[in-house]
Amino acid sequence: MSTSHSIAAKKFLENQTYATWHDKTFWGVRAKRDKLAFELPEWERLRDKASAIKRHTLTNIDMYLEMFSEAAEKNGVEVHWAKDAQEFNEIVFNILKSHNAKKLVKSKSMLTEECRMNPYLEERGIEVVETDLGERILQLDHQDPSHIVMPATHLSHDDVGEIFERELNTEKGNHDPTYLTYMARLSLRDEFLTADAGMTGANFGIAATGDIVVCTNEGNADMSTSVPKLQIAAIGLEKIIPDYEALSVFVRLLARSATGQPSTVYTSHFRKARPGADKMHIVIVDNGRSQWLGDPQHWESLKCIRCGACMNTCPVYRWSGGYSYSYFIPGPIGINLGMLRNPKEYSGNVSACTLCLSCQCVCPAKVDLGTQIYKWRQALDSYGVANKEKKMMVKGMDMIFDHLSVYNAATACAHFLNGMGPLVNNGLNPWAYAHKMMKFPKKPFHKQFEDMEKNEK
Amino acid sequence: MSTKKDIIDRCRANIRERLIRPTLTDLNPTVYDDPLEKFISQAQVMGCRVERAKSTDEVDAIIKKVYPDAKIVASSLPYVKSASLNPDTVPDAQALNGVDVGVIRAEFGVAENGSVWVMQKVKERDVCFISENLVAVMPEHVVSNMHEAYGEVSFNDYGYGVFIAGPSKTADIAQVLVMGAQAARSMTLILIPDL
Amino acid sequence: MKVGLFIPCYVDAVFPEVGMASYKLLRHLGLDVTYPKGQTCCGQPMANAGFAKDATQLASKYESMFKGFDYIVAPSVSCTAFIRLQYPNILKDANHKCEIASRTMDLVEFLHDVVKIKGPLGRFPHKVSLHNSCHGVRELHLSSPSEMVVPRYNKIKDLLNLMEGIEVVEPEREDECCGFGGMFSVEETAVSKQMGEQKLMRHAATGAEYITGADCSCLMHIAGINAKEMKYPAIKFLHVAEILASGIK
Repeated sequence: MSTSHSIAAKKFLENQTYATWHDKTFWGVRAKRDKLAFELPEWERLRDKASAIKRHTLTNIDMYLEMFSEAAEKNGVEVHWAKDAQEFNEIVFNILKSHNAKKLVKSKSMLTEECRMNPYLEERGIEVVETDLGERILQLDHQDPSHIVMPATHLSHDDVGEIFERELNTEKGNHDPTYLTYMARLSLRDEFLTADAGMTGANFGIAATGDIVVCTNEGNADMSTSVPKLQIAAIGLEKIIPDYEALSVFVRLLARSATGQPSTVYTSHFRKARPGADKMHIVIVDNGRSQWLGDPQHWESLKCIRCGACMNTCPVYRWSGGYSYSYFIPGPIGINLGMLRNPKEYSGNVSACTLCLSCQCVCPAKVDLGTQIYKWRQALDSYGVANKEKKMMVKGMDMIFDHLSVYNAATACAHFLNGMGPLVNNGLNPWAYAHKMMKFPKKPFHKQFEDMEKNEK
Repeated sequence: MSTKKDIIDRCRANIRERLIRPTLTDLNPTVYDDPLEKFISQAQVMGCRVERAKSTDEVDAIIKKVYPDAKIVASSLPYVKSASLNPDTVPDAQALNGVDVGVIRAEFGVAENGSVWVMQKVKERDVCFISENLVAVMPEHVVSNMHEAYGEVSFNDYGYGVFIAGPSKTADIAQVLVMGAQAARSMTLILIPDL
Repeated sequence: MKVGLFIPCYVDAVFPEVGMASYKLLRHLGLDVTYPKGQTCCGQPMANAGFAKDATQLASKYESMFKGFDYIVAPSVSCTAFIRLQYPNILKDANHKCEIASRTMDLVEFLHDVVKIKGPLGRFPHKVSLHNSCHGVRELHLSSPSEMVVPRYNKIKDLLNLMEGIEVVEPEREDECCGFGGMFSVEETAVSKQMGEQKLMRHAATGAEYITGADCSCLMHIAGINAKEMKYPAIKFLHVAEILASGIK
């Protein structure tokens, strides 16, 4: 009765030292988030407002998209529209090509991961340099992110040290994070200075003013866009919010939820190209979002502001790691977004949830993540991807619970299992993997109750 | 153009019910009795050094005191006499690489997170990021929270502004906090009452 | 006030003593309590596995069985939460409205919020580590979730503290999931086991003699792991009802 996630998770847990460290690290981030949240008595009201603003914006997104693009165009920005990943990649490539740009520095963007933009551009001769340190480490080692905010946190400083020794010629054996960060800084500095174009994602797009708002701690979004001549911003259409009043709610929640900081170091507002630079470009991407908006059960997943708090609090994520999920976004939000993307392909993640609902208690935009996973489970059978053994087990339960006589017979006999240790404590019984089989009483409650009633009479 | 129309039409078709926007009147955000004091302590938590001065005349001396080894100072502020580079007149952004101290003006501070609002006022804004160390000279004007802050932000024709809260940071290697990822490695705030 | 006792399938089959303790406790408090015959399961196992429709028949049966009661009380938070939150959806599909869902209460919230017992109930001079089950915390609001910025409270703790001589403690990460999750425990065996071991370790670290909670399924999971690995052979497991009823003849 295994799923793609459960198989990968089992493998992840083989290295207990590492798994324990992984759990502790991400729980530490959750604890930092708690500390910051509890400093604000208005925290729950902020979450309510954030959710309501997103619900409002998403259900009026047609209007806000018009507003946003109009404001951006008024600022002198060229706005592009991409219906899917392919179109997005083509648009970016054509912008780069028309400016004869060969090297692109970019700050972190889950949207470009979603569209697999880097390989597309690289195949066409563009050198793409990730400038977020975590993303850069992964790029040098040809890995994918394992978390949406802390993409390389699954690596230890020794792992990073070895990658840098190989790729950046750092001192052998010097795996001190401060030293390694400095070496990455020096190497990236050269990239910023020689890049032809800079690209950012967007945490928010402001409809009223046309701003692209990007939140970083490293300052790499600003380095990427304040040195090269050409600036491109990529934004998923659900990231548009009305105005600064709305933004003030989200910026207060974002960094506190993501990393337990009162704000990111840089909250940058880009409205137009720098003096002397080429025209700024914004690419608005749909890639499924407009369809998801119409899903009455799951459209609220679009409220997500990509803080990663649901991953940090999710015990299944902490004990299985980002790579055990088959969708490129892991954790509770990843399970949901994967199912919106392609339920047949990504249903193997739906098992990765105990329905503990901690995720929806931390989500700053109040996406009901766990409840939605429950709903996805209800739909698995209709997609033809329900687990056959599980289905049989449920049919078996129907047989027992729907028929009182069968139920009574089963509970009356259950205690016979007590004497059959080897028969029940074996590999065929998944419960026995972790547990000693429970001891069934001679008489179930309903029998004992009957006896008691008889005695009392 | 047609892709734009397609996308917006598809959104419109998939919206079932238009929900109203909430007001923030009942949010009651945290405000501080002494926002300036909170701002200073929070900026320090974010890794800033905070200096107080009576007038802009003291700025050069403070830069010298805090960054005694600095060789190249870049600023467009008229009272920074120690500046040898002006981000307003350098030929390009790359010319600011190697600056030891960049000195800029910040408009106001935010108590809840120790950030300052910086509106681009020079041709090459990378002075805020590419300089090894950043100094922001600012008035003693502080708001409590980001709601108030977004009521105060202003833009000019450069069309760029940023909240900065301390030096560039990362914890991307094994969750160890390191100051000075890609941008400034330290940040000093100089508060002047009547700036 | 007519109280119907609902004893979910696994309590009936595996933990009859918890059912007996609940019944005794309610009777001891002078309540008019009835245990209707012919009960089986609430349907949660099927629904959490993705087959909520398979719970329809059970939900209808539950509804007709408990129609005449003011409150239906069950010593199991996850079953209660399932009935209260999901029956209205499940029965809506079958074209009717389920009004008794809101009258279904977990034993703890019933004693705390409706009966409002103030004790004393008896002596239990032991150190117990309280297991806060997820559905109790985040669906039935038996305690303030550790994630949320709300005033701190814990109804189970309040009740346990009515026992004379008791010392109630909570493990570190006081409401983190134990990893049971119904079908999760057989579908994601490795993570389920890992989480259960962690939970057990944190409970044991409190130095408590007993681990107690308002949901036998979490306890069954943790106890099953302990019975297999025998890391903490001295630790005993009791449902809250058993502790509260321990002084009643």
